[in-house]
Amino acid sequence: MSTNEAELHCEVCNQLTDHELHYTGRLLDSVRCTQCGTHVELSSRALIPAYALDLEQRVLSKPRRMLRRVARDPVGYLRQLPRAVLRQPRKFLSEFRGLLRR
Amino acid sequence: MPLPPPIRAAVVMLAAGEGRRSGHHTNKVLLPLAGRGVFTWSIHSARRLASVTHSVLVIREDDREAVMATLDREVGPPDVTVVVGGDSRHSSEWQALQALAPAIEAGEIDVVVIHDAARPLAVTTLFSSVIDAAVEHGGAIPVRDQGHLTALDHGEQPPDRVVAVQTPQAFRAGPLLEAYRLADADGFVGTDTASCMERYTDVPVLCVPGDAGNIKITFPEDLFLAERLLAKADYDLSGRQRHHRRESAMSHLRDLLPHGAHADPT
Repeated sequence: MSTNEAELHCEVCNQLTDHELHYTGRLLDSVRCTQCGTHVELSSRALIPAYALDLEQRVLSKPRRMLRRVARDPVGYLRQLPRAVLRQPRKFLSEFRGLLRR
Repeated sequence: MPLPPPIRAAVVMLAAGEGRRSGHHTNKVLLPLAGRGVFTWSIHSARRLASVTHSVLVIREDDREAVMATLDREVGPPDVTVVVGGDSRHSSEWQALQALAPAIEAGEIDVVVIHDAARPLAVTTLFSSVIDAAVEHGGAIPVRDQGHLTALDHGEQPPDRVVAVQTPQAFRAGPLLEAYRLADADGFVGTDTASCMERYTDVPVLCVPGDAGNIKITFPEDLFLAERLLAKADYDLSGRQRHHRRESAMSHLRDLLPHGAHADPT
């Protein structure tokens, strides 16, 4: 699960406030206003199928994305490849764990 | 019979935001959305058109490093010109137009398209329709009818026809640059591009049909909605009619998507 912070308009505070955003994979999982605590999240019932679909899209588009990176910077890509491959199991495990914990 | 010369358009993406410009928080246009930065979705949509020959991205100085890294990762050539915006939308547009001025004066750009980078779901066909209308009429803005508006309590009744204005908005390049030069000389700050054009030129601005899916990321719920709309469009914002939807191994799950959100993002 990754997090981000951004200014968005909070309906409760009725102004632009800082928000914490939590992601599962590429999907936004929940958002919380740091000023009033208003929390918006997807239910597991919506998130799990959405995650499955998104995972499929990630897998299908991977070859195209890899080719684009190779074309842009072949040496840099090859240098980063071993570490990127080793990172994948841990990344997916953490995503699945995050989903199951909900 | 000779073919008409091809249209050359420049797209200006406004990504400087209207935030408080303080603290260490990410500009919303830099947030990830379905695997890509919010602002790069519409760069891709616009640049599918062969007529789009120049791209300018207006940013705030604090975001430069993150913007350049995202552009490097997500946007291929040709290069996007990055300029730093001002303290208002009008001022940001003026900065972008100054960057484009040499090309406009050299006759290399016919139309300038101004787009709010916080509207990531603008489809390619919408860019195309405003460009075509601007070439023909001078200016074009996409609008959506807001016919359902009514007065609260005993408030003033809204006019019969109210429209919500969207971006991308397109204008003939020469008159647009001239209008902003005159506005700069007068110290005029317009609320949007069309207001400056209307004040300083007699170029007509045509309303073209907007798109219900062309939402602006404002509230947290908009991000959830944008993700769902992208998934429903199979992450394809070309705007083309697809007769054969790609059958996904998980297509049966797609129908589950509209249900179950705690917050209804509509």
